[in-house]
Amino acid sequence: MTGYILKRLVSAVPVLLGISVIVFLIMAMIPGDPATAILGSYATPENVEKLNRDLGLDQGLVPRYFIWLGHMVQGDFGRSFALNRPVLDEVLDRFGATLILAGTSFVLCSLLGVAAGVVSAARQYGWADKAITFVVLVGISIPSFFLGMMMILIFAVQLRWFPVSGMWPIYGDRTVWVLLNHLFMPALALAVVATGVIARLARSAMLEVLRQDFIRTARAKGVRERRVIWRHALRAAMVSIIPVLGIQAGFVLSGAVYIEMVFQWPGVGRMLVDAILKRDILLVQGGVVFIAACYVMFNIMVDVAQAMLDPRIKT
Amino acid sequence: MTFQALSRRALLAATAATALVLSLGGAQAQTPENVLIVGQIAEPQALDPAAVTAVNDFRILMNMYDGLVRYKDGTLEVEPALATDWTISEDGTVYTFTLREGVMFHDGSAFDAEAVKFNFERMLDEAHPYHNTGPFPLAFFFSAVESVDVIDPLTVAFTLNAPYAPFLSNLAYPTGLIVSPAGVMEYGADFGRHPSGTGAFSFGEWRSNEAVVVQANPEYWDGAPKLETVVFRPITDANTRSAEMLAGGIDLMVEVPPVALSEFQSDAYTVYEQAGPHVWFLILNAKEGPFADKRVRQAANYAINKEAIVNDVLEGTAEVAAGPTPPAFAWAYNTGLDPYPYDPARARALLKEAGAEGAELTFYVTEGGSGMLDPVAMGTAIQADLEAVGLDVKIETYEWNTFLGNVNPGLEGKADMAEMAWMTNDPDTLPFLALRTEAWPDKGGFNSGYYSNPEVDALLDAARVEIDQDERARLYQEMQGIVQDDAPWVFVANWKQNAVTSDRVEGFSLQPSFFLLLDDVTKN
Repeated sequence: MTGYILKRLVSAVPVLLGISVIVFLIMAMIPGDPATAILGSYATPENVEKLNRDLGLDQGLVPRYFIWLGHMVQGDFGRSFALNRPVLDEVLDRFGATLILAGTSFVLCSLLGVAAGVVSAARQYGWADKAITFVVLVGISIPSFFLGMMMILIFAVQLRWFPVSGMWPIYGDRTVWVLLNHLFMPALALAVVATGVIARLARSAMLEVLRQDFIRTARAKGVRERRVIWRHALRAAMVSIIPVLGIQAGFVLSGAVYIEMVFQWPGVGRMLVDAILKRDILLVQGGVVFIAACYVMFNIMVDVAQAMLDPRIKT
Repeated sequence: MTFQALSRRALLAATAATALVLSLGGAQAQTPENVLIVGQIAEPQALDPAAVTAVNDFRILMNMYDGLVRYKDGTLEVEPALATDWTISEDGTVYTFTLREGVMFHDGSAFDAEAVKFNFERMLDEAHPYHNTGPFPLAFFFSAVESVDVIDPLTVAFTLNAPYAPFLSNLAYPTGLIVSPAGVMEYGADFGRHPSGTGAFSFGEWRSNEAVVVQANPEYWDGAPKLETVVFRPITDANTRSAEMLAGGIDLMVEVPPVALSEFQSDAYTVYEQAGPHVWFLILNAKEGPFADKRVRQAANYAINKEAIVNDVLEGTAEVAAGPTPPAFAWAYNTGLDPYPYDPARARALLKEAGAEGAELTFYVTEGGSGMLDPVAMGTAIQADLEAVGLDVKIETYEWNTFLGNVNPGLEGKADMAEMAWMTNDPDTLPFLALRTEAWPDKGGFNSGYYSNPEVDALLDAARVEIDQDERARLYQEMQGIVQDDAPWVFVANWKQNAVTSDRVEGFSLQPSFFLLLDDVTKN
């Protein structure tokens, strides 16, 4: 197992290098440069040239890439033009917020999705199955940002149960309680679509398993139905559900961009959108590489988990 | 491990957590008294006035710093601030300022002539020990400054390399705000996160992406502010900002989206509007194609229904523009100008006279950008109006930075017209950079439509060096008349900035400069 993990980690290095090249080239090729974005109306060629020099953008592409990469390997991601602070500080701050949001959302959608799928499969064609299938269809069909705005209008503006936006209140103590209060709506809005997808796949995975011989054997030897479903069948079905969870984790993480915009969650997705609009090159590059690294790590973890659960996968 | 136990426990926990969160339900706390929470449009870049360029940042800075001069309340005319008085030499190249006595920076250091000298040399002199605390993108506002000399602790003289009339109003612009030299020395490039000025509010804390908090400066030379604290919250999404306002999470919001204004038409809110130094126009390619003929350019001005654009597309958040200079520059504005009326028949007649009926036009439209309001909807309305008088208009839409990359180098060989908007602090800036022959793109200016009129050039050159304000105003007014008739642009709209406050806020007003001044505001 250790060898397998090491092999996977080594194979991640070229992936990350490739990503760094791609994001660097994209930022270099998109029209508009940071100096023009900063100067706005006053972007005369003379002013742009001077500011580019001050920002260190007057060198060639190749030296710039290697300088950037060299610094990054040593843990120095540079300084954001638009926010005037070290890129890594900003990315870590923001990534923490995104992890709280996406993590909560992921836990929500995994639990609700798997539970809904299992109940659906166990009561195939019963009223519970039909009701769940309908709700799941609605959930998959609503764009999360629209759902988010509607939740704000109803629960924050009309009923005033929850705050509209942000992660922490402007005043008062920062308790878990207060965080949950701010987290509830965005996490739920973000979880809805993924819950639907997971529920559907969990249902079909369970149906597959429930038809197999060992389930019949379990029932024949008198195991209680609840135990058959939640212990015997779900355990076998998890092998095909876990990869879906992995994919949905990525989906939740990328879907967080919209939710972060709507709920003004101070996360990394909103940071990237702002940074791209402002042509904040180092922040975009550093942010993307960091997220990519996390994503690669997460996939490796999912693969390892799967290998542990399913002895058929060669390690 | 058993999945049964795991999922049951987890489900139980999830249910409990949900119930817990739901039980928090109930009214959210009101914002505290004498603490004003402002909904801003973005996270500031820095709180160092020399280093920033965005109106969003200026809104905070104007409350923390003072300049030597400032704009008089409700106008764009300068009045004394940190300087109590000044004299201008005969030839207009030496400005000598007398400084206010006994003013202290928030960090306790004294404001004096040395501090003024430090501020400008830091921006302008590449050899200055603190020049590396930049970059200073707008330092060119003061590029005419040759030297800053300390005469005595309360007298400072600026020597310019040539007479430059906009100098005083540039000093009133945020780039001219005075920072504490001691602060810059202590924090270096991080000064933008540890700001210190002389203004009505001093820096409290900056929680990244959440809030900038400033506190009343009881020692403020112009009278301590009435609010104890102001919190600036960045809320980028305009709909979310409106929702926060409706939910009571903020007390004041700026840049209300036009469609949301109707939500605030009740006693619980006050809506403010103020026209600013902004103009939205179409650059016409006067070098080649149909618009090389003045009659066709005038026809375009007659053909476009600007009232409809302003009232329907922009929901009344702008006024129809008459010429190249916004009326907010009241002292330099030619009140005799009336906007081109909406007159399709006249437009058709002019087109016929010029033989340009059915001409094909390429029209550059942007998806959005600073000061561009609602460019796609406006572009579509303009296209429809021009087609109604028989022109064949083809729209090409670009993302803002790409758009600038296409428009700024000039429209020649690419397009006949392009959308554009400018916001400036002096009536000199826009025409000087975008209407003179010397400002054609190949000479480094923004005259992307290649307009050229020697009379206009002469007026603008004369106005720039004229130190007598009345004479200067006369020159600008004459220029506006000529430019309106020549029609190098289609003059479309002057944007009105808006803001909403809750009924707990009093004493607030918007400024034509688009700055946000909060020292007279109260909240109960």
